[in-house]
Amino acid sequence: MSEKPVDTTKIRSVKKMRDLMTTYYLEALSAGQNNKQVAWITSGGPVEPLVAMDIIPVYPENHGAMIGSAKMGEELCAKAEEMGYSFDLCSYARADIACSVEKGGPIGGLPRPDMLICCNNICGTVLKWYEIQARFYNVPLFILDTPICHTGYTPDIAAYVRAQVDEYIVFLENVTQRKLDHDKMTQVGKLSFEGQRLWQKVLNTTAHKPSPMSAFDAFFFLALIVTLRGTPIAVDFYKELIAEMEQRIKDGISSIPHEKYRLLWDNLPVWHRLKWLSARFSGHNACLVADTYTSAWCGAIQYIDEDNFLDSIAQAYTRIYLNIGVDQMADQVLDMIRFYDVNGLVMHSNRSCKPYSFGQMDIMKTVREKTGLPVLMIEADMVDPRSFSQAQAETRIDTFMEIIKQREA
Amino acid sequence: MKEIERFHEAVNNIFDTVLKIQKTNRKIIGYLCSYAPEEIIHAAGFHPMRLFSSKHEIILAENHLQSYCCSVVRGILEDSLAGRLDFLDGTVFPHTCDSMQRLSDIWRMNGKYQFFADLVLPAKLNTNSAAIYMKKVLARFKEDLEAAVGKKIIDTDLADSIALCNSIRKHLLTIYGLNCRYPGSIRGVDLYALVKGAMIMDRKEAADLLAGIVSHLEQKVYPDSPAKRVILSGSLCDTPDIFDAVEAAGGAVVGDDLCTGQRWFDSAVAEDEDPLSAIASRLMGRVICPAKHAGLTFRAKNLVSLVRRNRAAGVIFLMLKFCDPHAFDYPYLKEFLDKNGIKSTVLEMDGLQQSQGQFSTRIETFIHML
Amino acid sequence: MICAGIDIGSITAKAALINGKDLLGTLVIPTGYHHLNAGIRVFDTLLQQNGLSRTDISFVVSTGYGRASVDFADKTMTEILCHGAGAHFLNPDIRGVIDVGGQDSKAILLDDQGRVENFAMNDKCAAGTGRFLEVMARALEVALDQMGEVGQKADNPSKISSICTVFAESEVISMIARQEKRENIIAGIHDAAAARVANLAAKIRIRGPVMMTGGVAKNSGMAAALEKRLKLPLIIESFSQETGAIGAAVLAAGTG
Repeated sequence: MSEKPVDTTKIRSVKKMRDLMTTYYLEALSAGQNNKQVAWITSGGPVEPLVAMDIIPVYPENHGAMIGSAKMGEELCAKAEEMGYSFDLCSYARADIACSVEKGGPIGGLPRPDMLICCNNICGTVLKWYEIQARFYNVPLFILDTPICHTGYTPDIAAYVRAQVDEYIVFLENVTQRKLDHDKMTQVGKLSFEGQRLWQKVLNTTAHKPSPMSAFDAFFFLALIVTLRGTPIAVDFYKELIAEMEQRIKDGISSIPHEKYRLLWDNLPVWHRLKWLSARFSGHNACLVADTYTSAWCGAIQYIDEDNFLDSIAQAYTRIYLNIGVDQMADQVLDMIRFYDVNGLVMHSNRSCKPYSFGQMDIMKTVREKTGLPVLMIEADMVDPRSFSQAQAETRIDTFMEIIKQREA
Repeated sequence: MKEIERFHEAVNNIFDTVLKIQKTNRKIIGYLCSYAPEEIIHAAGFHPMRLFSSKHEIILAENHLQSYCCSVVRGILEDSLAGRLDFLDGTVFPHTCDSMQRLSDIWRMNGKYQFFADLVLPAKLNTNSAAIYMKKVLARFKEDLEAAVGKKIIDTDLADSIALCNSIRKHLLTIYGLNCRYPGSIRGVDLYALVKGAMIMDRKEAADLLAGIVSHLEQKVYPDSPAKRVILSGSLCDTPDIFDAVEAAGGAVVGDDLCTGQRWFDSAVAEDEDPLSAIASRLMGRVICPAKHAGLTFRAKNLVSLVRRNRAAGVIFLMLKFCDPHAFDYPYLKEFLDKNGIKSTVLEMDGLQQSQGQFSTRIETFIHML
Repeated sequence: MICAGIDIGSITAKAALINGKDLLGTLVIPTGYHHLNAGIRVFDTLLQQNGLSRTDISFVVSTGYGRASVDFADKTMTEILCHGAGAHFLNPDIRGVIDVGGQDSKAILLDDQGRVENFAMNDKCAAGTGRFLEVMARALEVALDQMGEVGQKADNPSKISSICTVFAESEVISMIARQEKRENIIAGIHDAAAARVANLAAKIRIRGPVMMTGGVAKNSGMAAALEKRLKLPLIIESFSQETGAIGAAVLAAGTG
């Protein structure tokens, strides 16, 4: 997330975003000195009660992305393998687990958690990962179990998750020995809703041709809606970012110099090859204008009732992209293809993320049948470069772009 | 013993087993993991049958699942797409790991069989709200089955099915106990066939045969065995060669925590309670799959106690390649064993492509180390 | 009492004779297709070289992949146990053994009696084995036994990141296309393979002194890369390739 592709015209907000993230991490790292408690939470977990209770949320997945971008993934993943963790396991988890022991990585490890919050709406991996960390740090673990909605959201699921939202609050009150301030909760809920609404608006700007920013920029700007969701910082920043994007559109400034082809990206970024991928595609005048990943942090906004926040998050956190059936995921991909008017789909078959990657081939088939668009699949891993063959990816990308060029000629 | 032979026949020729059951006018429901409530399926008049990884090369499933998906998930899809499971009238997918979840989606989208159900069980098994939810999921599943057969499942039928499944559990537990006391009283491959067969065969037939085997085995007198006693730990074991390799090296398997072993039959459903609640309680309380959560050290404590109870000298971990939940647990389980002075080794399994040489080298060396 | 050990590996067959504490002789021949024939040939030739006949031998232990095919052996033992025993025989101080053979690589932890305390073995993947080096040598058109020497001349070792042998090969091919220096690529290959082996060693928390055995121990480049990764010096005996056979003979003397 700290790496940004070379742009002809730099996005000004990048610097501000970097500063905000630095401040956030400095605050998190000095939490102990300021008598603040730290909670580690999964990227898809309900952070709002933490914000309302003045607990600093820290995201091991965001940390994983930083490790990947800093190209420190290989070393840390190998360290985890020495500890007995299989090479086939998620590289975010491997890197983070090794980092806890080694205190390594780009920021010398995350601040020690006082509690762990794990929501399994993104995968079953986080459950195992957080169990490991709960044993390592010997701190309480709360699991928000969000049953996967293969074909829909049943009343049974609703009742179960809603009950757990209450258990979550009780857990936090027990660990902090403080009561939740419900007025503050309402306020944080509204800010979270507003942040998500604005983030969607940021992403929507790339429907413009040529696109003022790319998915690579979105991967970078995503960090705020993940880490500072529910704060005015995220809301203010995204307002500015939208303004900048609108200005770029007005001034005719595009993400790549000669946008001729527009592409949609699926799955997590390949953090250790962002620059390379961006350059490879822009070399073909192709811009990755959107992706299925960054929109996951605003995709369930339709279920949020900002006036009744705690009641509504049960549904909003359960029905996110990934915690639904592959057919529903395919529908969302088709919607994005239409909305962003793209010429092709690029799928990252990510060894680290089974729930995101298994089913991709069926989505690919649906997309081909319904749109006739070319689809490219690249085999890689979000953090560990040892599962990636650049030479092979190069050939695949060039061939894919040739096909698109012929088709659009 | 001819009763044991029946199990081998059933395991080696699933298709004939199926034909026999179909002749009794019963439809067949395949299930994917040991959290499937067989009792309810059985009470609805269906025959519950566990699906195992394929014995064939992966060809058709390559178009749906990448190479880093485990051989069980890919193999079952392969068998389905190749038409080798056309005898199924339906399938049930209990919630387990991420790969199984996605297999369920792909399976449903390919819609090959009449009946389909996702059993989205809780992943957390140690809270009250999860227990309430578990029972609701089972109740909904019961309704789905009722809709499929067009009649209600009455409580006495459910009670009968529970009693039948319990008797299989009891017999298998007795045989495991005997084998533990007198290693060699039954061969490992036979034990494997009994458990696998009981997941495939007509349940009444299996229960009756097992009762016969128990009384036969209990009559004999066994000498003390010098074999080195080991426990198998992991997900699935569909490789009977393991037992032979352990025995050839002078060892004996005296217990396991496998999904295709003791975890499947290790506790009974209470027969004096409301049937659905009793089934739910069993699923909440039994030894967990690592894709589930029931505290931070549940599996390690269970494993150590299994070793102690069965006086085992070591543990062989069977790791199915690409099985994330088990791979995540391995380092802590090993550490727990180390702390308790219990030796262990790990074998990586990947469907058909077992490297026989490496396999026996590892087992022999390990048994020698004990 | 003279005892014999026979080690039938995937590429070479080895035999060793010992009498008490004395090593009488060893021999290495290519295995070929027929395991039993290789066993007979290596055994009989070695006996002949030492002016002995089969009746002089009290006990024979066979080991290695083809150990079961040696029908005249009194007992079979796994190569892990034999490499441990062999290393201990050659140098009783040894506590760790790293055996890199054609098919697989192993890290072994020994107690002060030369008994195996723990071990780790590569999984199905060929990275970090002799096979991996062989594939790469072919892609680079270098003789396998020249790799060590050539790799040592590297001024700026290339970085091979892929673990998978097939991926790594395509990486190497693209390096060739970019005209990277052959010695640098080879040094990169050694480091990649060494990383995998070091990983095995770390899994069992290897401790020194460590002996490297197996055919790949003859590759000085690989050994140097491994020493760097392990941060431990490696003891390499001239009998590195025959250690398993020697160990088998030692174990034969112990059981016979």
